[in-house]
Amino acid sequence: MGNPFAASLGIRHLVCGSCNGCEHEMNALGNAFYDITRDGWDIVASPRHADVITVTGPMTDAMRAAARDTVDAVPRPRVILAIGDCAAGTGTWAGAPQAGTGAGVELCADLFVPGCPPAPDAIREGLHGAAELLGKKR
Amino acid sequence: MTGVALRAAVLPLADELRAAAEESRLLGAYATDHDLRYVLAARDGAYERTQAREPGRPAHAHSQQFPMLSWDEREMADDRGVAFDALPDPRAFFIAPGVDPPAVTANGEGLMHFVVGPVHAGIIEPGRFTFSSGGETVVHLDAQLSFSRRGCERHLEGSDAVAAAPKVARICGSCSAARSFAYARALEALAGVRLSHEVELARVVVAELERVYNHLADVAASAAGAGFGPGFARGMALKEKAMRLNATASGHRLLFDAIVPGGIGPGVLLEPERVLHEIALLQEEIDAYLRGLFSTASLVSRWQRAGVVEARTAKAFGAAGPAQRASKGTFDVRTAATYGAYDGLAVRAAGASAGDVFARCSVKRDEIGESIRLICTALRRLPTEHAPSVVRLDLPRGEAVTVVEGPRGAETVAAHVDGEGRLARFHAISASYRNWPIVVKAMDGNIVPDFPLVNKSFNLCYACADR
Repeated sequence: MGNPFAASLGIRHLVCGSCNGCEHEMNALGNAFYDITRDGWDIVASPRHADVITVTGPMTDAMRAAARDTVDAVPRPRVILAIGDCAAGTGTWAGAPQAGTGAGVELCADLFVPGCPPAPDAIREGLHGAAELLGKKR
Repeated sequence: MTGVALRAAVLPLADELRAAAEESRLLGAYATDHDLRYVLAARDGAYERTQAREPGRPAHAHSQQFPMLSWDEREMADDRGVAFDALPDPRAFFIAPGVDPPAVTANGEGLMHFVVGPVHAGIIEPGRFTFSSGGETVVHLDAQLSFSRRGCERHLEGSDAVAAAPKVARICGSCSAARSFAYARALEALAGVRLSHEVELARVVVAELERVYNHLADVAASAAGAGFGPGFARGMALKEKAMRLNATASGHRLLFDAIVPGGIGPGVLLEPERVLHEIALLQEEIDAYLRGLFSTASLVSRWQRAGVVEARTAKAFGAAGPAQRASKGTFDVRTAATYGAYDGLAVRAAGASAGDVFARCSVKRDEIGESIRLICTALRRLPTEHAPSVVRLDLPRGEAVTVVEGPRGAETVAAHVDGEGRLARFHAISASYRNWPIVVKAMDGNIVPDFPLVNKSFNLCYACADR
C-alpha cells in the first residue's frame, strides 16, 4: 500500500491582479456543492503549509515581489497551478501598462486551467492533475 | 460634439460639491489632459463640473474641504500629473516600482503596529493593512491598495469603444454587470440611441441578479466573520444556487457580457419562464435562511455595535450603496437618478440607522428581497418568446458620464470618444473605491480580531478600486 496521504493537498491561493472572477469560483470549491474537503484537500493559510499554490491574474508590477516571496516559501516538491486565462497570459489585460505576462507564466506554473473564469469542476480537474504531478515529483 | 455630461455653472463649484456631498450624490473626480472633472448625480443622471488645468498654476485641492475626494485627487496627481495647491494626504496613490509605500500610523506609548498583506490567508484579493493598536483596540487602520492595478484605463484608451465592452466587463468580476450597464448607457447616450422597453427590463433582471448573489455572499461572509459556521455554509450554498441561476439567465455564472453596448448579450433570458420558476424556488430558501440568521441571538449580538459608521462619517468620507444606507443615508441611484426600466418598477430603497455590521446586513437582507421582487416583476412583463437584439451604435466624437446602482453602490463610468469611435479617456469610479476609506473608519475603536467581521460586512472589491 502506497502513501495514504498521496492525494491530499494543502492549497494556497495567490491573487496577482485577478478581477476576482476566478476567486468566486475558487471559493465555490468550498461550498456544499463542490466541497473539496471530500477529496482530502484544504485551503491553507500559509505557503509553508502548502503542496499546491494556485495563482490567478495577469501579474501586476505591484504584486511581483510579494508573489515571488510567496512561491519561494512553499516547501518542495510543490506544484504551481495557474487558474484562468489571465494567469496563462491570454486574458483581457495582457499588455496593459502595469500588468505582466500572466502570473502562471511568470511563476513558471506546472499546469494551467483555462477559462474566464474556469468553472469549479474545471478547477477541481486541475487540482486532481496537480495531485498526480505531485505524486510523480515525490 | 455630443455633450451629455457638461452643464452650465449655476453655483460656484465648492458650493455645488458641498450640496451634493450632503446628499451623498457627489460621485468622485478624475482628470483629462486639459481639465479636472468633478462628477455629481442629479435626478436625470450623472453630470460633470470642470475646472481647467492651467500651466504653472496649481489647481485647488477640494479634498481640503471634502475628505471623500482625497483618493480621487491623489490619483489625479499621481496618474495624470495634476499639480494641486495642497493635498491633505500627499502620498503617492499608486505603488511605484520597487517602492514599499509608507503607511500612516498612530504612534505613542503603548501603541504597536502590525502589517497584514498584501498576500492574505484566504481566497481574497491583495491589499496591505497596517494596524495601529493599543492592546486589542484599533486606534488607526491604514489600507494600502493598488496591488491589483493593471492599468486598465490607459489600456482601454485608444481601443474601439464598442469592441472594448468585454474588457470593461472584466475590470472587476464582482460588479461586472453594473459596470457593463453604466458603460453601455454611456455609449448609447453618445450615439443617441434609445432601447426597447423589453431590453431595458432584461437589463434590470441582470443587474438585480448581480445584487442578489453578491449580497448573499456578503451576509454569509459576515456570519463567518462572527464565527457562525452554519450561517456561512448555508449562505454560500445559496450563493452557488444564485450563480447557477445567473448561468441559466445569461449563460455566465458571473453575468459577464450579459449587458452590451446597444442591447443585451445573445444568451440573455432565452427562457424567461424558467428563470421565473427557478427564482421562486430560490426565494423560499433564501427567506428561510435569512429569517433563521436574523433570529439567531448570538449572531445578532456579535453584529450589533461592531464596525459602527456614524452618519456624519459616512457623508464626509463618501460612503456609497448599502454602507451609506445603513448609516441613515437615503441615496440609491435607482430611485434618486432613475434610469432604464427602473422608472416604472417603483424601487423601494432599503435603509437602517445604526451604521453597524447588523445595519449593513439588514440593508442587504432587505435589498435581496426587493431585488427578487424586481426580477419577478420584470420577467412577468417580458414576452415569453424573447428575441435579444443589439442596436448598432454609430459613435460621434463626444463625452458621456453615467451612473448605475451596483451591489456596493454607485458605479460611475466616464467615456470620451474620439472622431474614429475610439476611447480617448475612460474612467471608472467604483463603489468599492468610495467605500474603502469607510472600512478604515469603521475599525476605529474596534478590536483587531473583528477586522474580518467588519471588513466582510462591506465585502468590497479591490480590482475595480485599483483598476
